[in-house]
Amino acid sequence: MKKIIDVKRLSKSFGMVKAVNDISFYVEEGSLFSFLGTNGAGKSTTISILLTLQSQDIGEVKVNGYVVGKQDHAIRKEIGVVFQESVLDALLTVKENLNIRGSFYGLSKQERKAAIQRVVEITDCTSFLNRPYGKLSGGQKRRADIARALIHQPTILILDEPTTGLDPQSRKSIWEMILQLQRETRMTIFLTTHYIEEAANSDYVVVMKEGSIIAKGTPDQLKNTYSSHQLTVTTNNIEELRRELTSEGVNFKEEKSIFLIQLEHTTEAIPILSQFTSYITSFEVSKSSLDDVFITINGQDVAQHVNNR
Amino acid sequence: MLTIAKRNILLYFRDRMAVFFSLLAVIILIALYVFFLGDMTSKGLPDFPSKKSLLKYWFIAGILAVTSMTTTLGAFGILVDDRADKIEMDFNSSPIPTFKLVGGYITSALFVGVLMCSLTFIVIDLYLLLSGETILAFGKTMQLGGVIILSVAASGSMILLLVSFIRTSNAFAAASMVIGTFIGFLAGIYIPIGGLPDYLQSVVKWFPVSHSVALFRQLLMETFLIDAFSNGPTGMKESFQFEMGIFYEINGKPSSKLFSLIYLLGTTILFFILALFVMMKKKK
Repeated sequence: MKKIIDVKRLSKSFGMVKAVNDISFYVEEGSLFSFLGTNGAGKSTTISILLTLQSQDIGEVKVNGYVVGKQDHAIRKEIGVVFQESVLDALLTVKENLNIRGSFYGLSKQERKAAIQRVVEITDCTSFLNRPYGKLSGGQKRRADIARALIHQPTILILDEPTTGLDPQSRKSIWEMILQLQRETRMTIFLTTHYIEEAANSDYVVVMKEGSIIAKGTPDQLKNTYSSHQLTVTTNNIEELRRELTSEGVNFKEEKSIFLIQLEHTTEAIPILSQFTSYITSFEVSKSSLDDVFITINGQDVAQHVNNR
Repeated sequence: MLTIAKRNILLYFRDRMAVFFSLLAVIILIALYVFFLGDMTSKGLPDFPSKKSLLKYWFIAGILAVTSMTTTLGAFGILVDDRADKIEMDFNSSPIPTFKLVGGYITSALFVGVLMCSLTFIVIDLYLLLSGETILAFGKTMQLGGVIILSVAASGSMILLLVSFIRTSNAFAAASMVIGTFIGFLAGIYIPIGGLPDYLQSVVKWFPVSHSVALFRQLLMETFLIDAFSNGPTGMKESFQFEMGIFYEINGKPSSKLFSLIYLLGTTILFFILALFVMMKKKK
């Protein structure tokens, strides 16, 4: 697989604040890559370096073989970007916007016409093509933003929190569009989000916190590494179960009449259940959700993670 | 570059309020003049034939100079808005060279400035026609067009330098207000240069816009000046010209038309280079 984005030992500071602190990662061509982190984790700074908007302090960044800081012009042709903010002109119609932005890529009038036709179909913008961008709803604006990003058929599509601030319905439809786009065009998609459930759709996830990468892997790998499983038991015989569990040396937590037992693997529940069958009125074994994983990862200390790597 | 210019022009005219505000200083100027400045200026001068008409043309020159400044300023507001709304991120991440982008902003501002000044002049011509005054001959109108272009270019490069420091829409609004208020004084438009204290007179003399006003006045008033002072005592015409800022006294001699032209051109280039320098430095 080709590394279409390759970041090595990247650092960037703003005054005393280290926004990005020595991170390395790569993105495979044609994959859907998620950059996950809470607000202020350094995602946007990394993206603006990728987009050649800011220069890094230290480190090397390559986009499709071009070096950031040296071949910026070439990189800008490779990338289509959807910013967090609306960056189209509010007073112009979607069509006018697309036409103007299309001309930045040296497309002729005919080529622009064809390009607009193409992106409008992909993003389903036809119904509001001739309305001023400023009068559109949040979801429609996002569609137009994506249409703008696709106008020059980029090899990489970068989306900075594409679904933030949208209603659930629009969020869902934007996501379906992104996934469909990736399936059909095999375009490399790089997105940032702070919703873990969105990252679950991706091929690879990198989690950032306070400027450092604290976890990376496929969503399944992350789940397996960071999730812990839990056995939940309810009983009519609280006192005795408590005594039995304590004497057997099983770690547990108690919440009202519910006993919570942390497990490494779900199968560990079987001997416990068979040993205490007589006390148990009901039980449940649960794998932790991605949300739990995210909270676990984020709850841990940055220094500890960096040292463990 | 032309696409960016076209976009900016489209944005300027779609935003009706921006157009109105860039003409606000002119509207205020007209109101001030109608209500009291006209009367005041007239009373401060000795009597001579066709004084009223002459002052009318004098004042029109002021309107044109103010328009050239404020409308160009209004058009540059788009640059500041693009910065404040982060639209510049979109431009900077597109494969479009900086010089084309900046060139686009400059082209659009000059276009808007020249267009708005020309429209203003057409309105003025109509007004003159309706009020029975003589309108400017064709040849002179063409020359006036040339002065409009030069005056817009001079204002434009000064404003470019100014906006290269401005990052927020609020700062820009404040700057616009200050400029709109002061330009009338600095260019000797509200009060004739002769009525100002000495130190202010030298400020006015070296303020580039004063030279656009002077050029406008020379063009608009030339023939009427000859009529007005043909029978008057010698020296009266000269002192009137100095008092009213039609020519400036530089080194004891009246500034020539050529001097004003070269001075405007020179400041245009100077401020333009400074602005580019600041913008390049900021880019880093």
